[in-house]
Amino acid sequence: MAALLRPARWLLRAAAAPYLPLSLRLLAGGPGRPHAALCLRAARARPVAGGLLSQARLHSIAAEKKNYLQEEPTSSHRRNASQFDWALMRLDNSVRRTGRIPKTLLQKVFDNTCHSGSAGGNQALLLLRSCGSLLPELKLSERTEFAHKIWDELQKLGTVYDVSHYNALLKVYLQNDHKFSPTDFLAKMEKGNIQPNRVTYQRLIAAYCNMGDIEGASTILGFMKTKDLPVTEAVFSALVTGHARSGDMENAENILTVMKEAGIEPGPDTYLALLNAYAEKGDIDHVKQTLEKVEKSDLYLMDRDLLQIILSFSKAGYPQYVPEILEKITYERRYIPDTMNLILLLVTEKLEDTALQILLACPISRESSQNDFGSFFLRHCVTMNTPAEKLKDYCKKLKEAQLHTSPLQFTLQCALVAQKLDLAKVLMKALKEEGFPIRTHYFWPLLVGHQKEKNVQGIVEVLKGMHEIGVTPDQETYVNYVFPCFDSIKSVRAVLQENGCPHDDNVFSQAELRSKAVNGNLDYILSFLESNTLPFSFSSLRGSLILGFRRSMNINLWSKITELLYKDGRYCQEPPGPTEAVGYFLYNLIDSMSDSEVQAKEEHLRQYFHQLKEMNVKIPENIYRGIRNLLDSYHVPELIKDVNILVEREKTDSRKPSSSDLESKLEKLKAENQPIGDILKQLILMLCSEENMQKALELKAKYESDMVVGGYAALINLCCRHDNAEDALNLKREFDRLDSSAVLDTGKYVRLVKVLGKHGKLQDAINILKEMKEKDVLVKDATVLSFFHILNGAALRGETETVKQLHEAIVTLGLAKPSTTLSSPLVTLYLEKDDLPAALESTIDCYEKYKILPRIHDVLCKLIEKGETELIQKAMDFVSQEQGEMTMLYDLFFAFLQTGNYKEAKKIIETPGIRARPTRLQWFCDRCIANNQVETLEKLVEMTQKLFECDRDQLYYSLLKLYTKKQNIVFDNETYARLINLLLMKDNSTQAMQVKDFAETHIKGFTLNDAANSLLIITQVRRDYLKDALTTLKTALDLDQIPSRLAVTRLIQACALKGDTESIHDIQKLVNGLEDSIGLSRMVFINNIALAQIKNNNIDVAIESIENMLTSENQTVDPQYFGLAYLFRKVIEGQLEPALEKISIMAERLANQFAVYKPVTDLFLQLVDSGKVDDARALLQRCGAIAEQMPILLVFCIRNSQRPGKAPVMKSLLELIPELIDKEEAYTCLMKSYVFDNDVTSAKALYESLTAKNVKLNDLFLKRYAVLLKNAGESVPFTEPPESFEFYAKQLKESKETHL
Amino acid sequence: MLKMAASAVRGAMVLRTDISRPVVFVRKIPGTVASSELREHFARFGHVRKCTVPFDEETGFHKGMGWIHFSSEELHHALQWENHVIDGVKLHVQPQKPKALQEDQTSDEERDF
Repeated sequence: MAALLRPARWLLRAAAAPYLPLSLRLLAGGPGRPHAALCLRAARARPVAGGLLSQARLHSIAAEKKNYLQEEPTSSHRRNASQFDWALMRLDNSVRRTGRIPKTLLQKVFDNTCHSGSAGGNQALLLLRSCGSLLPELKLSERTEFAHKIWDELQKLGTVYDVSHYNALLKVYLQNDHKFSPTDFLAKMEKGNIQPNRVTYQRLIAAYCNMGDIEGASTILGFMKTKDLPVTEAVFSALVTGHARSGDMENAENILTVMKEAGIEPGPDTYLALLNAYAEKGDIDHVKQTLEKVEKSDLYLMDRDLLQIILSFSKAGYPQYVPEILEKITYERRYIPDTMNLILLLVTEKLEDTALQILLACPISRESSQNDFGSFFLRHCVTMNTPAEKLKDYCKKLKEAQLHTSPLQFTLQCALVAQKLDLAKVLMKALKEEGFPIRTHYFWPLLVGHQKEKNVQGIVEVLKGMHEIGVTPDQETYVNYVFPCFDSIKSVRAVLQENGCPHDDNVFSQAELRSKAVNGNLDYILSFLESNTLPFSFSSLRGSLILGFRRSMNINLWSKITELLYKDGRYCQEPPGPTEAVGYFLYNLIDSMSDSEVQAKEEHLRQYFHQLKEMNVKIPENIYRGIRNLLDSYHVPELIKDVNILVEREKTDSRKPSSSDLESKLEKLKAENQPIGDILKQLILMLCSEENMQKALELKAKYESDMVVGGYAALINLCCRHDNAEDALNLKREFDRLDSSAVLDTGKYVRLVKVLGKHGKLQDAINILKEMKEKDVLVKDATVLSFFHILNGAALRGETETVKQLHEAIVTLGLAKPSTTLSSPLVTLYLEKDDLPAALESTIDCYEKYKILPRIHDVLCKLIEKGETELIQKAMDFVSQEQGEMTMLYDLFFAFLQTGNYKEAKKIIETPGIRARPTRLQWFCDRCIANNQVETLEKLVEMTQKLFECDRDQLYYSLLKLYTKKQNIVFDNETYARLINLLLMKDNSTQAMQVKDFAETHIKGFTLNDAANSLLIITQVRRDYLKDALTTLKTALDLDQIPSRLAVTRLIQACALKGDTESIHDIQKLVNGLEDSIGLSRMVFINNIALAQIKNNNIDVAIESIENMLTSENQTVDPQYFGLAYLFRKVIEGQLEPALEKISIMAERLANQFAVYKPVTDLFLQLVDSGKVDDARALLQRCGAIAEQMPILLVFCIRNSQRPGKAPVMKSLLELIPELIDKEEAYTCLMKSYVFDNDVTSAKALYESLTAKNVKLNDLFLKRYAVLLKNAGESVPFTEPPESFEFYAKQLKESKETHL
Repeated sequence: MLKMAASAVRGAMVLRTDISRPVVFVRKIPGTVASSELREHFARFGHVRKCTVPFDEETGFHKGMGWIHFSSEELHHALQWENHVIDGVKLHVQPQKPKALQEDQTSDEERDF
């Protein structure tokens, strides 16, 4: 002991005394000790959200990083730095929020670092420091392993370690109770040529002490002595532990006396070491005594310290004393993460009962809170394989304590995620006992794991488990999770039978049917339906059938299956019967297809309907109408008539008159010689809706003289639908003869053009187009789209002339402008024929005619696929020459990406000098989204990582769109945060909130960062969602974030304008203590509270409180800085006359009676600024002292001169206070303003009055004036200073500084 | 070939007018609930034509989102209902945005000229 003390005393004397107190706790710290008591005040002001490694520490790394950046600003370092930023942000966020780092996160950051190929020193430090108590979910030995892995891997990557890294490793050892040889460690450092420092020694002492090795500790102390290093409280604390662990409690206690003798007062650290020592011995009496002693002293133990004592008791096997310590915990909110981490640690250490005890003691408000508490505990118990029965019991207790509403369900979810079948079974049984239904899909996650490994036995186990719980697998279970594991469905059946897995034959067969349908195996489906003996309802088959139909183009099988269903007694004979059932099936079939799919399969569908007609299959009229609407919306009205033939005529609504009724009525009228126009038209329209072209045409021929244009219009359309070009054209001619000025609907013209074109009546089609132009028919976007469809259809049929001539006519008539879409059929023609040279020629031709390059991308893709090097060269030369090299590179890049030639694509996009072209990138993204090309888009995002000026957010946003579309969202926290930020910046707060909701459902504990929350507040304020904005502010502050000054100010101002004084007070309380961090002046509150009061008509209250503040003894704000300009401006702008009057009186009173001139001057200036020059003049006359407030006036001048449009204000001010002109700052500002606003006259006047006074003007002033004159085309009456503005600005600044 | 043609048509489809359908988008669906429970819940507001809760084939879990296709405008009842709670969990329910507005058309056939 004595040997130990001597060096200590000696060292203390030698050390610089003032060094000690401050650094005592900061530098050292036993295991898991952050700096605390001495910097308590600092910690209070800016609460540290738990974390045994504090965020302050992480921040300090960030600060180091800055220096490092300044030293070596090369590009590779810049990359490292941004990567470092990212890593820091991720880890820092986690520590701030939860006081811990999840293993997966650390692993991810580490993997990323390795992937990048290099890691800077700071990044290595960050990773190493994360491997200690910040990982409570990992066993101590695993943490150390992790640290070693990081150490070795980074060393391999070439990271150079210095003493800080070794110290960090030491700290990790201490925190993880890692047994190691300190001498070996020193040897390792020596080998690495690293000098240990004080911290190293201190930690080595702690290491020895933890092992109870006082002798070893003394040796190190000896080293410290020879190096003149100071001994700190941390060393003494370690010695307390050391003696205690060597079994010598007496000397452990003695250390405190020794410290005092050495001039160091034992602090909380020392006492904590002592307390832990007692706790390890299970000595509750001494613990209590010591705690009382500390309470009486001016020392203060935090919750965090008490938690340490609990840990010591628990680990040493004395859980019975935990409640006594728990009682003393204050549960300050900021220590909740610490408590949670202790709970996790205890679970890791298999002390889960104690963990639960602490959890139950947490004073979480139970009734009000809707959030469940304790999920983290349950999840970790599942991970650590806590016995199932115990977990069941914990769930019960959590529920009883009203901490968690659904603990069993939550634990089950965890068990499923971890794929723990046995635990899941126990939990499901428990849930079942409580009356909760157990659903089939609960078992899917369990099946997924086995399915991936094709583990048949595993699948069988789960299926047995299902049976045990009483759940029958459904169709989806088999199709998605069981069948993929087997080679054939036959073998599934066999294996299930072999293993005694019961299965419902009906469900199984349906599942089998579906899996065959997925592969489009209609043969199987037909034979199954034919031989099947099970009772299936048609509706249960519908989904599978539709799937199968869409995946097979065998129309004969389509029809045969449909016929079987329609006619066979087994399927749809029950009410409502086969007509209804099959009709609904057809509707669903078409409904399930996309418009492009229907367009592509038009002929197939037609064939199908006609075959059904042959088979005498009928559908009800109301369902037909539904199908008709669908086809219309899909742009394939030509199919309508083909469906119409299936309509069951007999059952048509009897209340409506039938066409034959109308016809006999018509004949009757005709016979009576009455007018028949109306009824004829009615009849024609009815026949048209029945698609009865034959009859309608006959009727028209019979009563031609009574036809009206409406009837013709419907008939023309009908003929077009029936592809009857001949009659359509004739009817059109008759229509024209009837009334040459009559105009058809746009759609009908378009259909005519289509039919005529299709039948080779090109000239007639062109004539219709001409008529459209002449009659000024409305051409909408949809019409242009229809033109495209006409041309594209012709192109697909290979009708070269039709495409060329119709396109030419449409374009020359000006019905539509040539565009890459409209003109694309010109190229499609040749692409369809695989005539690539002609396709390229046609694209180039379009460029020469219309300056567009339709389908260049598709042409290039084809050329690449076919390896047509020469043509590629030709295409590239052309694009390069016409649109520049960059465009060419992008074209090539996209074509390579599209065709899966990623290597080539990468080379292109890494061409030196290439930069981002947002519109082109967006085009390609949209294309990927439209075509569901996930991989291609992901490759694009990956390859453009280093692209100069590339808007990553936009690319991520596209990726989000595609994922969302595919309903396949797998984002991490960062991507979400990035997206939300992006959406907020785009002022799309609704969408941002949607993404935020998404993120919150998918990522536990998802939060926005400072910047995003600030943006969110600003957006919410702008949208007038002030309540929401206030909530966001609260959330941000709860997360220890510092919102931006702008966000807080905007919110306060918005509240003020609403007269919401209360909210402003709330905000003031919320940000109390953070004003400086935010950069918020007290005046913001004073101005806005007053404004809010004024808005509420409490003018007197507002004025009185301002006056009090300015005249009271203890002023919080110096009157000089008591700026009320904002308030005055708002009052003036708002034309709040009574308030303005009272304010004016107040300002004058303050000036006259209290000699406080700032308010009156501000008011004066605001009057001038608002153009109320007369009021300003009157005020000036009443209060002449305003003119003497030069500093205030000059600040006003300087601020105004920085904004455009202020010349008139400056001019007025100069008129009111002419003495301003004597100030250099003032006249400089004046000139600046005049120049800003191009006010040559005022500038001249200013120059002349200054020269008249013989003022020596500076070069900057002259330069400005000269440029103004020159721009106005006037001569400059002096030699213009030759240098740049910047030069003179700098010169002026320097000359001012030397004068000071 | 057909695929390329189809993609060309799709490319041009940006302009197409989609018929707006009565679809409700549901979020925050708890893990205990799958499409049949959701369908059952929403059936009280009108006939549910289709109800999808997509499951992730990689994990066997769904992602908390689903779509309810009603057969008519009955979705308004569902949207007006404030507390959609299944298994004690409150769902977030909102209308699915239509992709584009259908243009209004009057027909020349109704005119007599």
